[in-house]
Amino acid sequence: MRAFFTSLLANRKASIGAGIVAFFLALAVFGPLVAPAGPNQRVGRPHEAPSAAHLMGTTRMGRDVLAQTIHGTRTSLLVGLSAGLMITAIGTAVGVTAGYLGGRVDESLNLITNVVLVIPNLPLMLVLAAFIGAASPATIALIIAGTAWGWGARVTRAQTQSLRSRDYIHAAELLGEPTWRILACELLPNLVSIIGFNFIGSVLYAVVTEATLEFLGLGDALKVSWGTLLYNAQTTSALQVGAWWEVACPCLALVLFGSGLSLINFAMDEVANPRLRTLRLKLRAPA
Amino acid sequence: MSFLLRRAGFYVVAFVVAAIFNFLLPRLMPGNPVDIMFAQAGTVLPPESLEALKATFGFVDGPWPVQFGRYLASVFTFDLGLSVRFHPLTVNAVLMQALPWTLLLVLTSSLIAFLLGSALGIRAAWRRGGAFDSFGAPAALMIQAVPPLVTSLVALFVLSIRLKWLPTGYAWAPELDPGFTLAFVGSVLVHAALPILTLVVAQIGGYVVTMRNSMINLLGEDYITLATAKGLSDGRVRYAYAARNALLPTVTSFAMTLGATFGGALITEIVFNYPGLGYTLYQGITARDYPLIQGQLMLMTLAMLTANFAADLLCLALDPRLRRA
Repeated sequence: MRAFFTSLLANRKASIGAGIVAFFLALAVFGPLVAPAGPNQRVGRPHEAPSAAHLMGTTRMGRDVLAQTIHGTRTSLLVGLSAGLMITAIGTAVGVTAGYLGGRVDESLNLITNVVLVIPNLPLMLVLAAFIGAASPATIALIIAGTAWGWGARVTRAQTQSLRSRDYIHAAELLGEPTWRILACELLPNLVSIIGFNFIGSVLYAVVTEATLEFLGLGDALKVSWGTLLYNAQTTSALQVGAWWEVACPCLALVLFGSGLSLINFAMDEVANPRLRTLRLKLRAPA
Repeated sequence: MSFLLRRAGFYVVAFVVAAIFNFLLPRLMPGNPVDIMFAQAGTVLPPESLEALKATFGFVDGPWPVQFGRYLASVFTFDLGLSVRFHPLTVNAVLMQALPWTLLLVLTSSLIAFLLGSALGIRAAWRRGGAFDSFGAPAALMIQAVPPLVTSLVALFVLSIRLKWLPTGYAWAPELDPGFTLAFVGSVLVHAALPILTLVVAQIGGYVVTMRNSMINLLGEDYITLATAKGLSDGRVRYAYAARNALLPTVTSFAMTLGATFGGALITEIVFNYPGLGYTLYQGITARDYPLIQGQLMLMTLAMLTANFAADLLCLALDPRLRRA
């Protein structure tokens, strides 16, 4: 376990990714302290181009784009992290239970998982969000979590099934350990890397999906987040009138944060699966 | 054969679950959605359509099970009711007008991304650690992390608004009459180029990474070593031995990611004002056209199930072990 994290930290991709993610986390916590203006404060004329006074320009409403993006980080990350956490929790619980218990329980849980996987997410979320109307960030997080846990459950189940027949699990069963203890103390620690992947992938998915739902106008347009910034830019035709900066800043935030997370995931994959690792030695050897 | 039957049974279950969602949601809402919609639509809807709308949601006389039965019957006969935004068209008519455009985008872009992405993945895995791999693999991963929303906005601004290389929206030039003329087909292709490009970019990273990783895992297998030891040509080992098996996970993920691709197409269409399902749906969402929003869920689910069934058939063709099971 410790070796896993040590080699993860030594991986250059992982450290760059972790740096990016840490930067955004700090922005989410301390952002309002460093933001050049309030989220809904009018500080200039409509659609001012980027300048020294407004680094990323102003919106149609004369608000500072950089300030809004910084303020929006908190909502976007909060939805991303909480939805990611829920997706991982549901997926892990379902996957481990189905994989370990097998039989009827497995059959029914697997059926539910497959149904969740095969019903397309975005169309389903659109239906949910449309009926709920002007969904708050918390509601959006719940909707995302409820529709997206299938993939994690499937992967966790497969891994649990392969662990179940190992000797140490048999030993625990023969010792008479209660089922919950086998699940929580014997199986879970060996699933950490899969759960980690699941979590990071889910956060990335949730942040993007939240932005998408809000872009479509299904969120609460008064809450400042990366998605509502894009929604406002779209409804005021910012791109068509040449105000690219209104879109650039939230887009950049989405892409950077996403790249940070995928770098961590990629590095974790390499550490967990040595075959995928590209050795430095190989790179230096003449081709 | 039993493999296919089991899969088919599962698809019917999945379709019914999607229908249950649509059936339950209007009933869980505070207030009656039909009345709300009717009030919001103002003078657009004639009073006679109230009954038709109620039937759309299965609000017929009788207890819930009867209502549900009627609802299921209408869904399975693909009778999705009346659209509010596009009155007096039915949801069916609205969806069918839009579907071909979305299919054009989704199928063309998936095919390009699948072929190109898999080829690049095979190349990266074959020379892993080489210049192409060490640059290509992380690049593919970064591209995969870029949401289609961002790609479309950037492509729209750079390629059509600034450089004016490609049109900013619509499926064909408005001065042309639809028909099989050279000018019209050309116009359709030019208008579809940017949305397709965006969708290819959105998908390709995934195929490169999946193919590369599953290929690398396989290259360590004994049968690959044996094939090389037998003196088979590089190309034979690479494609007939390694790639054929490495394709299996890609084929399954092809069907699974189709849902995401449809989702991506929805976004791309909205950004480019492209008259497919996404754009139509966007208009439906702004008008709170519930029958239309619900109808697209059924249609998308059907599309997903069809794709998964096709993937099952393809897996059956690629993997003889499934035929014996």
